[in-house]
Amino acid sequence: MVKRIARKELVEMLRDGRFRVLSAAVLAVSLLSLAVGWKHYADVSRQHAAAQAATRDQWLHQTKKNPHSAAHYGVYAFKPKSPLAIVDTGVDPYVGVAVWLEAHKQNEFKYRPAQDRTAVGRFGDMTAAETLQVLVPLFIVLMTFSAFAGEREQGTLRQLLSLGVEPRDLAVGKAAGIGAALGLVLLPSAVLGVTALTLTSDGGFLSGKPTRAALLVAFYLIYFAVITAVSLGVSARARSSRLALVVLLSFWFANSLVASRVVADVASWLHPTPSAVEFQKAMDAELNKPEEMERRLDRRKAELMRQYKVETVDALPVAFSGVSLQEGENHGDEVFDAHYGRLFDTFDRQNTVYQLAGLVAPMLAIRSVSMGLASTDFQQHRHFITAAEGYRRLIQRTMNDDIMAHPTRTAYLAGRELWEKVPEFEYEAPAASWVLGNTRWSIGVLFAWLVVAAFWMSRPLATAML
Amino acid sequence: MLRADATVWVIAGIFAAGIGYAMMNGVRWADFERTALRAAVAEEAERYQKIQTQIIELQQADRPVAAFGDARNPTMFGSRFGPRYATLPVGPLAPLAIGQSDLLPSYFKVSTDARETIVAASEIENPHRLLVGRFDLAFVLVFLYPLLILAVTYNMLSSEKEQGTLALALSQPVALSTLAAGKVALRSLLLVGIVVSFSVLALLATGVSVTAPGALVRLVLWLAAVGAYGALWFGLAVLVSSFGRPSATNATILATVWLLLVVMLPSLFNLVATTLYPVPSRVEMIQAVRVASDEAAGAGSTLLARYYEDHPELASGGAEQAMNDFNIIRVAVDVDVAKRARPVVDRYEQQLARQQQMIDRLRFLSPAVLMQDALNDVAGTGTPRHRHFLEQVDRFHAQWRGFVVPLIFQKARITDVSTAPAFVYDEEATAAVARRVLISGMGLLAPAVVMAWIGHRRLRRYPVVA
Repeated sequence: MVKRIARKELVEMLRDGRFRVLSAAVLAVSLLSLAVGWKHYADVSRQHAAAQAATRDQWLHQTKKNPHSAAHYGVYAFKPKSPLAIVDTGVDPYVGVAVWLEAHKQNEFKYRPAQDRTAVGRFGDMTAAETLQVLVPLFIVLMTFSAFAGEREQGTLRQLLSLGVEPRDLAVGKAAGIGAALGLVLLPSAVLGVTALTLTSDGGFLSGKPTRAALLVAFYLIYFAVITAVSLGVSARARSSRLALVVLLSFWFANSLVASRVVADVASWLHPTPSAVEFQKAMDAELNKPEEMERRLDRRKAELMRQYKVETVDALPVAFSGVSLQEGENHGDEVFDAHYGRLFDTFDRQNTVYQLAGLVAPMLAIRSVSMGLASTDFQQHRHFITAAEGYRRLIQRTMNDDIMAHPTRTAYLAGRELWEKVPEFEYEAPAASWVLGNTRWSIGVLFAWLVVAAFWMSRPLATAML
Repeated sequence: MLRADATVWVIAGIFAAGIGYAMMNGVRWADFERTALRAAVAEEAERYQKIQTQIIELQQADRPVAAFGDARNPTMFGSRFGPRYATLPVGPLAPLAIGQSDLLPSYFKVSTDARETIVAASEIENPHRLLVGRFDLAFVLVFLYPLLILAVTYNMLSSEKEQGTLALALSQPVALSTLAAGKVALRSLLLVGIVVSFSVLALLATGVSVTAPGALVRLVLWLAAVGAYGALWFGLAVLVSSFGRPSATNATILATVWLLLVVMLPSLFNLVATTLYPVPSRVEMIQAVRVASDEAAGAGSTLLARYYEDHPELASGGAEQAMNDFNIIRVAVDVDVAKRARPVVDRYEQQLARQQQMIDRLRFLSPAVLMQDALNDVAGTGTPRHRHFLEQVDRFHAQWRGFVVPLIFQKARITDVSTAPAFVYDEEATAAVARRVLISGMGLLAPAVVMAWIGHRRLRRYPVVA
């Protein structure tokens, strides 16, 4: 029975002019956004790979100089583009693309691509994810609002139920029919997207690419199922199809345009973001503490003199300048970890609010999951920041150790041998399981929606439906 | 009749709540920005006080101090101790639209460093929040306002026809177009009245001063934009109504047009502009600047000689040769890097300018973009005002270098920090703002008039009975 109802729904939809127009639009937009996403990905990842190679080259081909000068010269870390950014660019336009790794300082990521666009960019990116999160739900709403309400108005619903068709079978059958129709529309884009993904080589940046892609597809299907179930549930209960449409369009508007903004406000009331001036000032105050440095250096001096059993600093077999520089780094690292840690924790807490707010608007849940799996959310940006900072600290330690190992009266100069001691910066994105852990709230919320909406859809009593 | 319709009251309620919330948000953001700017000014004042005390101490004690820690050294003053903030003040009507002000920073710390590193600074914000955008009054006006207009107008004639009351009304000596005009007039009075009164009330309640210079003109421009945008959607509703289709069809057509003009076209424009004129990733610029600095640093002494050839008046010779030469080489390198980086930076700016040009033409196809531009202009949070600010930042940067560099060449020391130039923001001419807003307004009004006129003519052939 369910199968028959589904087939009837599908055939009816395929004959509907509105369906053809809408599906052509969805198809065109998703194909266009995928093509542009792919081109953008190809361009940017080429540029970043070239820059990363060039910065390594510059590091290796430095002239002979003191290791600390080399540390000041530093290197750049360029954030690689995730191949799945073809589907969902996430927060990528709003975070910097590169960071300078130099001595004494954890710099911020600079150059947000959004600053290199016109104001119209703020209306949103036409990405495949945007299409899936905003347009497809609208498509579902428009195709389903009259599923029950319309039949009731025409009187066919009474007929059907009098034949002994179970209301639940009817609901499930209609959902399946709509699902099949949707599948027909999205299949070409999905095939194309997967092909594009397999064609991209990411140099090992994103491990578990197929897993992520498969999960992405699965979660979007859940999201569509939620929207379909909600739509059918409303259609089964609304007095008229007109009312069903109004309710569903309001839901769509609130879900896709309003909720994210309001929740962002709430999140920043709960966990306020500091201004750059305040943040910098607080950090500088802790960095520039001469007494603290003196205390640390005295302690290190005493430790070293005890270790080498000498009476004066000059008698140490190591260059104390290296020790002192490293001690400065250690102090800085503690301050950076505390301050940046606090800032990023604030962002993470705000993002948890977004995730939980998915309970009100499922779009927020799928958005978090989608960005997470595409490796374009803030948490993965933070993961990269941490990796880059770790690399900076490695450079500092290598340089300072070398200074320490070369106590000379004259100026000490190092060469390529030392530069090569610093390995190339290689970043590997976290595994898909890590992402699932981060987005657990959103995933939970999506499943909760699915269960509740499915239950709600299949439960309208036959009498209520008439 | 309208008063009896519950939907109108629901709509008015939603609208009022949305406006109140949006205004609160706008005011909060303007306060945050003002606080940040005040913090910047305070930080600078505090720093200046501290270095002045330090300078006096050093002058009196005349004890040796490391050149890098000496604020009297013009190189160190210009780059580390003395940088001054260039700030973009928050406009009087800023709460009306957050616009680009959350993305484009409103203060820069101007030093002798390369211009590119100075303007690469940005305000701290959760990237997720930048991505989803803000619930400000502009959002309510651009997205919600047209929807509410369409909700009260889509069936203004068709429902009467469907109920059969239209023929009755027209049996009176009244023309259909007069009736329609009356209906539109009443509805526009109601909706525009709600928007204007609530916004202005909220504006006054939050202590926004309308007496600030230019504020009143801007408020009038804002009213004009709200009127023109409303007129456009009323014009559209009249046009669609005049086809004499049933209410449901009207609703579908109007909702589709809204989706197309407000949601789809802006992101499509963005897609087209960024694809046709892509601004390459800034990593290319970083690399170009770095290569230029390496080459310039390598050629440091040659550059120094050349600089003296260009500026013989500055080659006075004297003591403290090493430090001074270091300073001078640094200046020469900076100048050389700026010269070499210029073409690369220009390429970015040209691409961005091309994008802007394209959007400036395309935007006449989407009233949403026109409206957003007009609202940003009125609030002073748009791209043009920020560009105006950046030009002044550039000039101030040149002025700052013009202050520091001669001191370096004269081997002078800074004794009085108050001689350092300060940034004074020169506000855009109100006439320039008015011109931009009026152009956007004309772009809204012209199609409104055309649609209303066509609709009016078509009403003569309106099928009065179903």
